[in-house]
Amino acid sequence: MTTSTEQSLGAEATAPEMGMAPIRREHRTVASYLLMPVFLALVCLGLYLYVQSKELDTIEQRALNASRLGTAGWEHVQLTIVSTIFVILIAIPLGVFLTRPFTRRFRGVLLTVANIGQALPTIGVLALFAVAFVFIGFKAAIVGLVAYTVLPVLRNTMVGLQQVDENVLEAGRGMGISKMGVLTRIELPLAVPIILAGVRTALVINVGTAALATYINAGGLGDIIVAGLSTNRLTVQITGAVLTAVLALLVDYLAGIAEDVLRPKGL
Amino acid sequence: MSLWEFIEGRYDDLLQAGFDHIWLVGLSVLLCTVIGVGLGVATYQTNRPREIVLAVTSTFLTVPSFALFVLLIPPLGIGAPPVILALTMYGLLPVVRNTITGLREVDPSIVESAKGMGLGRAQRLTKIELPLAWPVIVTGVRVSALILVGIATIGAIVDGPGYGEFIFNGLARVGSPVAVNLVLAGMIGVIVVAIIFDVFFAVIAKLTTSRGIR
Repeated sequence: MTTSTEQSLGAEATAPEMGMAPIRREHRTVASYLLMPVFLALVCLGLYLYVQSKELDTIEQRALNASRLGTAGWEHVQLTIVSTIFVILIAIPLGVFLTRPFTRRFRGVLLTVANIGQALPTIGVLALFAVAFVFIGFKAAIVGLVAYTVLPVLRNTMVGLQQVDENVLEAGRGMGISKMGVLTRIELPLAVPIILAGVRTALVINVGTAALATYINAGGLGDIIVAGLSTNRLTVQITGAVLTAVLALLVDYLAGIAEDVLRPKGL
Repeated sequence: MSLWEFIEGRYDDLLQAGFDHIWLVGLSVLLCTVIGVGLGVATYQTNRPREIVLAVTSTFLTVPSFALFVLLIPPLGIGAPPVILALTMYGLLPVVRNTITGLREVDPSIVESAKGMGLGRAQRLTKIELPLAWPVIVTGVRVSALILVGIATIGAIVDGPGYGEFIFNGLARVGSPVAVNLVLAGMIGVIVVAIIFDVFFAVIAKLTTSRGIR
């Protein structure tokens, strides 16, 4: 992770939009690949020893057993993965559609809206669905997460496709490749790194916001934190918070590896 | 009750929350600007420390805010302190990243001529490099402020002040008529604060950029 500099904000692509300056990615060494998992394993071990060293009362025992933690963790993973899959299915085709020539007129407006939308707090989006339509639970959480994180992926898809050199497309057309072929064989592969950065951003936002899904009865590790907060049990709060943080860092780490692996060979 | 009536009725509370939100984010932005620019200046010329600083600050940003706020309760209690520390941690990456990029993008030949004119290391930094990198640095601070306005909302979980209170109060009353107004008023407040910060930093960027490169 030492060189994973384009993280949570998908800096490569947000650079022109949000003013985050890009830093060139360098190749990672094997040691730097191992750093994060080792660190997370040590954190989990530390947490385990800390909880073991405490005399747990009945409230704590009820919150901190393997099946409860497992269920909450699994719900959290489901929220993250399902919402990210929907985001990919919606945002990438939409991004492709909105970069075709006939949409040029309202493209700028859309990018502006996408940027402003990012300034809204994630909890607000979840809360709005909940109070406006009395829509709570797993499905509501998915809708809220998707509504929010479609924006970074859409924006990165559009930016990624737009920054492809016009001459390269011209060359492709000159070689007799069809419009569809130019899109799938030239434009999309060249845009992949930026699109992936957007997907990684979406994943990180989703895994973080899924922690708040507990407030709309959608489960996740936030359940554990809230159980600790409402019963004033520090051990429970800390366990929930540490597990949430570990899961988020793990998801980001895996997404970083996926980014490296999925990047087209020539780039 | 319509949203407008709600806002009129709770005007004082909303205004107070707005001031709280602004000073909370403002203080955090100030802290991360001082720390972030310091870290950037200290590490931009050396590869290894630079990578470490960027990796650590981007790891901060990956930790979910809900988790970080709660983890800061044991050392700092509840209220503003844990929120300010967490916000400062979250705001570092854009500032550090832009400071490093800005300083590294300064044309080496300009620094070379400054050397030739007899300027020492400190003078080169304060008179040549930082002024040239300043527009990029201010943009980083602006990005960081916008991110923090949103994250500060979550601070309401640990009794942090600001518009988050309205949103979470609304959530606690799902199904009741006042809930929608609470959440909407909170969201509008957050957007207004975000716009205020954005305009503020746009003006700051104009005023503080060295005349020669405006």
